[in-house]
Amino acid sequence: MKTLIIHCWHAMASIRLTIILCILLTLNAAWGYFCLHGNASLYMPMNDMGLIPWAKTYGRSSLLLTAWFFLLLFLLALLVCNTFTCTTDRVYRLLRAGKTTSPMCLAFKLAPHLMHYALIIILAGYLCSYLFSQVLTGQTLVPGTHLSLPGAKGQVTFTSFAPEYYQGQRLDFFTDHILTPRAHLLLSSENSTREAILTATRPVRFQGYTLHMIDFAPKSLGGMNMPTRIDLHIRKDPGVFLYLSGMALFSIGLLFYVCEWILLKEVNKQSV
Amino acid sequence: MISTHTALQAACLFYGLAFIASLTTLQHRRVLIAALLIPGLAASLLIVVLRYHQAWPMLPLHLTPVAVLLCLGLLYPIAANAAESALQQPVQRSLLAAMVLVAACTLCFPKDFYLPFVKSKTLFAHAFLVFGAIGKACFLVSVSWALAALMQTRHAYSTSHLHRAMHRCHFWTVWGFALWTISMFNGGLWSYFGWGTPVVWEDPAILTTMSAWFFYACFLHLHLTRSWTLTGRAACAVVGGLAVLALTFLPDLGPFRNPLQL
Repeated sequence: MKTLIIHCWHAMASIRLTIILCILLTLNAAWGYFCLHGNASLYMPMNDMGLIPWAKTYGRSSLLLTAWFFLLLFLLALLVCNTFTCTTDRVYRLLRAGKTTSPMCLAFKLAPHLMHYALIIILAGYLCSYLFSQVLTGQTLVPGTHLSLPGAKGQVTFTSFAPEYYQGQRLDFFTDHILTPRAHLLLSSENSTREAILTATRPVRFQGYTLHMIDFAPKSLGGMNMPTRIDLHIRKDPGVFLYLSGMALFSIGLLFYVCEWILLKEVNKQSV
Repeated sequence: MISTHTALQAACLFYGLAFIASLTTLQHRRVLIAALLIPGLAASLLIVVLRYHQAWPMLPLHLTPVAVLLCLGLLYPIAANAAESALQQPVQRSLLAAMVLVAACTLCFPKDFYLPFVKSKTLFAHAFLVFGAIGKACFLVSVSWALAALMQTRHAYSTSHLHRAMHRCHFWTVWGFALWTISMFNGGLWSYFGWGTPVVWEDPAILTTMSAWFFYACFLHLHLTRSWTLTGRAACAVVGGLAVLALTFLPDLGPFRNPLQL
């Protein structure tokens, strides 16, 4: 049994498998582009309903257009296993040999492995996001109204709308158009009350939820006779922290790798 | 006032002439190429400035091909710099050919009619464009070096040239991969801050970006593990690189428009 596990581990840790998987993922993503092009409406609900309900409905009903996506999930799962086993093998060897090398040198040598682990964290974060996110769509607020967050004792009140307009007349279409829809919110919990500004690109975090502005009205100065409103998506996404941490880790690893590569390998002009 | 279309026509003309000059055997060929590249570069810069001026602080949509053109022009003096003329010429020619191709495609299939949108008013959107364009330019440079390496395989005496060319190919691939990754991360952050989701399915460009990322991850693994022969890796960099890079340009190209129309 132990031999079988070791055999499977080594087979999974093969760099040849990495290369094959990367080629397959390249081809799969290219295939996905042609399936997604013009059929985005088939995939968009996944962001709100999550992966499993989407797979059971949209995914299953249009299998010709979504097969690439299921294959992508399978290939990514294999890539994660392959990356984990391969990287762990190498890190183990490095750490064992690391007793004789300087900490800085060891940090440089560990940089590529950090990137590999970070990739796994990013992919795990995305998966968590699509499996466990709670999304409340279609939450509309007008000034003075409020909404309560499910399972939380907090309340969000939309106090006022203070937009910023497009300056100058560089693009006719945007003359007097709102560029930054700035909504002032009052976030009240049991113990405290604070103000927050929500814009189209700056969500607000409150009691584990994130409030995202999806749409707003009026869109321009001329449309001010339209009632002011903001449309929100409220999300509780446990994957965000994971994939943002993964990106930060990957960036650190990349920085170390590029530094090492410039400082050492490029100077020494190693052979190819 | 000069329009972006006219500036693109001028860029295309100057890059085309520079490419023709690179094919000649003139004594002052390098000076001539430089003299033709500078106005081409100025025209590319003008398009980027004009588009940015209109859209600022939002992101001008589908600007990537022109931004890549500008980056290639700026990288050209460093990218095509090699001690051996046997390597320099093919790299220069293929880089100029790439510039002409990108300029011609952008001119014939423009997609500059899309208006910017409010959600693109974020630093992440601009970083996504800038890093992506530089990354793509680096990948094109790496393809040029791989092409130069492939040309060396015909001569038995040029093993050292082949090694040097592939070394440069790897150098540019690493830079391209690092910048491409940073661009993708910025895209991910833009998606999260703008829509609250990890992926914005409305834009299929995410898949061409992903495809290029996996291809270059594969190429770097091939290089670092020396799994294939140098010629095999060079062929992979040329054929695969050109295919995935062409794919990444697809989302930024629109319907055909007469390139000579004023």
